Amino acid sequence: MGIRQTLDNLEPHFHKGGKYEQFYPLFEAVDTIFYAPPSVTKTTAHVRDGVDLKRIMITVWMCTFPAMFFGMWNAGWQANTAIADGYASMGGWREAILMLLAGGHDVSSVWSNFVLGATYFLPIYLVTFVVGGFWEVLFAIKRGHEVNEGFFVSSVLFALILPATIPLWQVALGITFGIVIGKEIFGGTGKNFLNPALTGRAFLYFAYPAQISGDSVWVAADGYTGATALSTTFQNGMSALTDQFSWMDAFLGYIPGSIGETSTLAILIGAIVLLWTRIASWRIMLGVFLGMVATSSLFNAVGSDTNAMFAMPWYWHLVVGGFAFGMVFMATDPVSASMTNKGRFAFGALIGVMTVLIRVVNPAFPEGIMLAILFANLFAPLIDHFFVQANIKRRQKRTGAMAEESA
Amino acid sequence: MARAFDFPGGIHPPARKAASTQHRIATAALPRRVILPLGQHAGQPAEPCVEVGQRVDTGTRVAKAQGLISADVHASITGEVVAIGSYPVPHPAGREETCIVIEGDGIRDDWALLPSLDWRRADHATLHARLDASGVVGLGGAGFPTQVKARVRERNAIDTLIVNAAECEPYISADDMALREHAADVLEGARLIAKLSGAQRIIIGIEDDKPEAIRALERGIAAGQAHPLPISLKPFPARYPSGGEKQLIKRLLDREVPSRGLPADIGVLCHNPGTLLAALQAVRDGRPLVSRVITLTGEALARPGNVEARLGTPMNELLATAGLDDDRLARLIMGGPMMGMELSRLDLPVVKSSNCLIAATLDELPPPPAEQPCIRCGACEDACPAGLLPQQLYWFARSREHEKAELFNLFDCIECGACSYVCPSHIPLVDYYRAAKSEIRANAFEARKAEHAKHRFEFRQARIEREAAEKEARRQARAQAAKRPTSMAANSTTSAAESTAQPQPATADADLKSLRIAQAAAKAAVRKAEKVLARVSQSTSHKGQPQGQSDGEIEDLEVQLATARENLAAIEARLAAAKDAAAGTTQAPTPPSRSADTDQERTP
Repeated sequence: MGIRQTLDNLEPHFHKGGKYEQFYPLFEAVDTIFYAPPSVTKTTAHVRDGVDLKRIMITVWMCTFPAMFFGMWNAGWQANTAIADGYASMGGWREAILMLLAGGHDVSSVWSNFVLGATYFLPIYLVTFVVGGFWEVLFAIKRGHEVNEGFFVSSVLFALILPATIPLWQVALGITFGIVIGKEIFGGTGKNFLNPALTGRAFLYFAYPAQISGDSVWVAADGYTGATALSTTFQNGMSALTDQFSWMDAFLGYIPGSIGETSTLAILIGAIVLLWTRIASWRIMLGVFLGMVATSSLFNAVGSDTNAMFAMPWYWHLVVGGFAFGMVFMATDPVSASMTNKGRFAFGALIGVMTVLIRVVNPAFPEGIMLAILFANLFAPLIDHFFVQANIKRRQKRTGAMAEESA
Repeated sequence: MARAFDFPGGIHPPARKAASTQHRIATAALPRRVILPLGQHAGQPAEPCVEVGQRVDTGTRVAKAQGLISADVHASITGEVVAIGSYPVPHPAGREETCIVIEGDGIRDDWALLPSLDWRRADHATLHARLDASGVVGLGGAGFPTQVKARVRERNAIDTLIVNAAECEPYISADDMALREHAADVLEGARLIAKLSGAQRIIIGIEDDKPEAIRALERGIAAGQAHPLPISLKPFPARYPSGGEKQLIKRLLDREVPSRGLPADIGVLCHNPGTLLAALQAVRDGRPLVSRVITLTGEALARPGNVEARLGTPMNELLATAGLDDDRLARLIMGGPMMGMELSRLDLPVVKSSNCLIAATLDELPPPPAEQPCIRCGACEDACPAGLLPQQLYWFARSREHEKAELFNLFDCIECGACSYVCPSHIPLVDYYRAAKSEIRANAFEARKAEHAKHRFEFRQARIEREAAEKEARRQARAQAAKRPTSMAANSTTSAAESTAQPQPATADADLKSLRIAQAAAKAAVRKAEKVLARVSQSTSHKGQPQGQSDGEIEDLEVQLATARENLAAIEARLAAAKDAAAGTTQAPTPPSRSADTDQERTP
């Protein structure tokens, strides 16, 4: 009961008229981490389902773990492979930690790869969490509401779609933009119309293309340059891509890329849990997938002599770039997606179609799915509007009641 | 096929019915004191018809129904009326209402029974009168007067009577137990109501988690096969809220009740088994509604079960008999945990709509967690049995965009609470909808009041104008009559009024023409007003709206109709005068014709 007593003793200072009145949300946030809140609303339903917001958010958070852990290993493995090929290591404090914990760059050691990757990912995640958390708490204090668990999800998703080599100050800027402009200025959790993590990512993408452009790869080895799978295909055709990686490599994730995005398999494990718990909408995922398959098949059929991307089949679209991650974790964000069931199909399909369109026709933006999702976010209310109006009209036709009243 | 005969959404809350179904229905001890609220039913409260100090027997009428939708209240014990005044009643806001308090000695129980009737032989008027006199209301929780529902035939053709034995709310088992023990009587009651409503068949809808009740019903149906009316029993898998009228009809008949409509609109009547039993007892045994079966349950009770309790019995007496542990009691809920209300005190009386009391411990029904922001996850939408978009309605209710909420069919919400149950952010969605609904109703009421005042003013203007027109017509008639004998004398003196009354022939024709057009328009207005009034008075009388509200609407429409008639009368008077004038001096003027109905007293 020590914590409870301490919190109870402190509590009066945070109430109206107390010394730290304006910091009440902070106190509340700490308090509810340890205990269930005592403030209650009188609801009409006196029994409730066991699923609550906290559990949903933590489930989503845990669903990213396979991708996260594989990503850390892969980031280290990519770097160690490059170093083994003769590139110099990046040096600095990361090197010191690696030497201390794993003893050196060793491509064949899972542990060495993992530790090296972790020295890149964990600082990114930490910065995201601290800076993003700062803004969340600031706005919560200013608005006098509680800090929401949704931030757990936004922060981990944001960290996972960044390349390992990104400077930490850019991480801080990106999450700041994502949280403040992407979410808080529209009223906070539940009122944002864009996905905050993607908004932050898009901001970095356009503001600092040198570090995150997408046509060169991000491997943590000094002087290493290379092209991503997508830009390889664009420049040299499908055969260049298949020479470099096998499809299975790309599916399992042995390719360079943003930390959490490389392994389609790890992402699909998370997707299964999300679908099984019915947290993510299968309609959206299916819509994205079918939209992508249809559009890429169409491009395959049309063909092009000048644009090699036309020839990329759907199963390659699935495993390269951020497609799988975007489909599973980003498009299904309920806040910024469509809310009607039929609208979800349309919303997903729009993302799938736009992703392939951007990838194929406008390869200046290889991260097609990111832009496609943000684009679809903007259209979600419109899509809903059409489906709702159609429903209302059908209902009126059936009952005739509304029509009579307005006449 | 199976998919078509189903309603969308729904949830599976834990049923927790086992605790209260272990024993037969017990009879609660006769209370020494009962508190009988006058408004135990939907509609207007009854008016007391006894005085303080008067001796009453069990079943004596103590309050008389008022207005169209109301029900009598009867003494539930033998004793003396000791007070008529305000007492707290079961109400979500803990309101007080006028109650009749009767005290007895807890032993004497003399019954004032009405004569027994054979419903098969009795005519409809007798049966209606009996239901009127026995205070039977819907015992499922809504408390709609049964005699009003029994007269449905006057307005709608009914083909099917549905016995709503779904009892889908967790905890409640009153209907289940009543069916196990009185299945034959419930079926008999159903036949009685079917006869009154003209239904051609009876369907019993029941959730399949009540196997004993289903077996009892099967036996009852088999035993009563001599009756011509087909009864079919349709068990279906349990899912909340399959006991909602509209959901049950969809499930059993695949018919959809229209938006803002009633089951009667699609030829269906729904009754709860307990109500049918009470109706049969009222007719067959002459026994008015003075007791009901109530489920006492919850983990704070040592001996949960169903009891037959007299209306007005203080709840704490029943709970004490059931072994209430005061220390463990966290909250007391009347009705089910989904739609029931939390009671603020224990000494409230049992009323006609009390189907269940849940004495819950803190672990059993924990207080709701704090409300969190909506993340638009759409869980509510999947759960909604009415096919609405609860999430959108929530945003509209919050931002008070009432017009939009109505456009999204807020009033089709049945307030079942499925959305609140699934909401991961613990948003009390139903509370928002209720608040929005009552605000919309209040606004509409205000608007109607203002409109009504305007209509009354218009009526007054129309009356003044009509009187002026008639006066003018009479004056002119007199002038004509006075002039006729002297007209041959070619008197050159013409009054100013006459010069206007006898204008140039061309202008007179034009005047006549425009007056005729105005007359036709006024006649059309009267006909339209009559039609609207007829439609509204018909629809409100069976919609069961709060009496005051529909009365206000009808009154307003009556004023509008009267205004239209005044206008018509005024125009006819003027037209007659003008015709008269145009016809010249050769004809005797006819007095302005006033239609018969304009002579009636119409001042609102």
